[in-house]
Amino acid sequence: MSRMVSDFKAFGLAYLRSRTGFFFALIFPVILILVFGAIFSQTGTQKIDLPVQDLDNGTWSQTYLAKLNATGAFAIDMISPDVDFNRYIKDELKVLALQIPSGFNESVNNATRGYGPPATIILKGDPTNTYFTVGMGVANAVALQLNSTVVAMVQTENLGSPQYTFIDFFVPGMIAFTALTTPMFSMSTICSEYRNRGFFKLLGSTPLRKSEWLTAKILWYTVLMLASIAIMYVVGIAAFNAHFTITPMAILLVIVGVFLFTSFGMFLGVFVSNPESASALANAIGFPMMFLSGIFFQLESMPAYLQYIAKALPLTYLAEGLRATMSLGNDVVAATDFVILLISGLILFVIAARAMSWKGK
Amino acid sequence: MAEVVLDAKGLTKTYGDMNAVDNLDLQVFKGEVYSMLGPNGAGKTTTVEILEGLRNPTSGTAKVFGFDVQKDYDKVRSRVGVLPQTFEPWDRIKPPEAIEYWAGLFGRKISNREIRGLLEMVDLAHKDEVWGERLSGGEKRRLGIAMALVGEPELIFLDEPTTGLDPQARRGLWEIIHALGDAGKTVFLTTHYLEEAENLADRVSIMNKGKIVVSGSPEELVNLYGGGTHVVLKGAGEEGVAALEKLGYKSTFHNRDVTVHVPALMRTKDFMAQINQSGIAYKDFETMRPSLEDVFFNMVGGRMEEGVLKQ
Repeated sequence: MSRMVSDFKAFGLAYLRSRTGFFFALIFPVILILVFGAIFSQTGTQKIDLPVQDLDNGTWSQTYLAKLNATGAFAIDMISPDVDFNRYIKDELKVLALQIPSGFNESVNNATRGYGPPATIILKGDPTNTYFTVGMGVANAVALQLNSTVVAMVQTENLGSPQYTFIDFFVPGMIAFTALTTPMFSMSTICSEYRNRGFFKLLGSTPLRKSEWLTAKILWYTVLMLASIAIMYVVGIAAFNAHFTITPMAILLVIVGVFLFTSFGMFLGVFVSNPESASALANAIGFPMMFLSGIFFQLESMPAYLQYIAKALPLTYLAEGLRATMSLGNDVVAATDFVILLISGLILFVIAARAMSWKGK
Repeated sequence: MAEVVLDAKGLTKTYGDMNAVDNLDLQVFKGEVYSMLGPNGAGKTTTVEILEGLRNPTSGTAKVFGFDVQKDYDKVRSRVGVLPQTFEPWDRIKPPEAIEYWAGLFGRKISNREIRGLLEMVDLAHKDEVWGERLSGGEKRRLGIAMALVGEPELIFLDEPTTGLDPQARRGLWEIIHALGDAGKTVFLTTHYLEEAENLADRVSIMNKGKIVVSGSPEELVNLYGGGTHVVLKGAGEEGVAALEKLGYKSTFHNRDVTVHVPALMRTKDFMAQINQSGIAYKDFETMRPSLEDVFFNMVGGRMEEGVLKQ
């Protein structure tokens, strides 16, 4: 019994003396609580994202939009009249958008004087979506309050669901998730273990170069990821009738994602003292990143400040790029994400490669 | 004159206020087995890691095959084999796979026959299906030596290769190191086992507190610094101790045998003539030549037990 108590004390002391161990034991749970709390503890303050195109830009349209904004139900994003609105809605995967046609002001004035039918406001999107239903109710209510008589009403235009089911959203996200976890988690542990067990020194005694060693790792994780993608693809198609496809851009994104997260894992592994701490640190960084990068939830469903944080995380761009190319056929967005990931990866690679030494101090 | 393979001048490695390696000069020549002998913490591993290009010195220079170890090691890396002090193989790699892997790192394509030959040389042929993590301590070191040799190096660093091994495993490794010496390889061996250095090395440096205290061949060191011979007078008893004291010799007494130290400057023959003349009774006598242990004691001022210096 006394031996067990002694071992318990010594282990506990050693664990708490490790900064990473301390962080993982006491601070990491707090971070998770904050992150999950922020995502799920919505208290009725969330607004519906509403792109608006005002083709009239008259007094009545501005009055209508001011009243609509005053409801607090929408986060209104004004879209230029020059933009092809239907194309925009499809490209940006909007389920709800509002367009005020030109001549709206005149139609309202005529309706007010009893010379014509109520003016029309067009609500576009996917009528099967809950947000659309809620949005239509609010937009209609505001239209009815525009004047003492009915001078405007909302018509809907069904742009349909863009063949984009949850599985089309989720599987590319899961590919991005795997591209994060597999290389980053194992590289951080490997770097620490290699240093502690003298493997780096052993390798340093051979003609092998650091860059060759790292490239070999990136290649291995890429091959592993490609196998993983193939499996996810088959499962997605077979089990859920998914619509996504594996495109050359998706392969490029996965390669650059593996490159980035391998470098990131190496970067983490350089700064921790033992494999356990490396694993804990990778978990502490990786898990919040997974939830904040829109792997499991649409970024739009998160509060605005979390969306800002998400934009700073590389996993966001990998998930977004993969979804764009695999599920939506939008290689322009994917290419932009690819460039962002490549630049981030190169920066991390250089920092990590410089920080990692196979030599003793 | 033999080719200088390793040449260090003024090598110093400082950690804070402590000099782990203190202004060290050494040369190792082609084809010799050179042993650096010293207790734990003497600076042996730091020195060897600097010479391997795995640690930068604070000051001084070191050259291997004429190339600076800090700037140009890449040019000679393929000519050097290394067995680090803390060597352990990868957990889930079998010995033949490890050798093939290492050969690949040295840019060598190695045949199954060559792999088999190396494994037989280190007596691991029967372990070719065993994962690295399941090898014994001695087997792991032997695998490490096989890996160090796979690049066909001209210079081999063996950093305390037998530490922690049982006597049988240690003897097995000695045979391998002897064979390397016989094959004309240059071997740089660090150890804290005196008998190992004495048995294996052509030249020995005794290192303590970061400095080389003395160096030379084992014979030279024993002759110069061994401090004379020990003579055991069997059955001389306590009377012998008293008689020796009258003659001016200090002696130790054990089980009726008396051991007396004969100074280096005095010939054993003359000492025995003096004993016989004094009438000290004994049944038999034997002489014990000094060893590296005596050299170490005389030069460092203590004895080593499993690498720990006892003052």
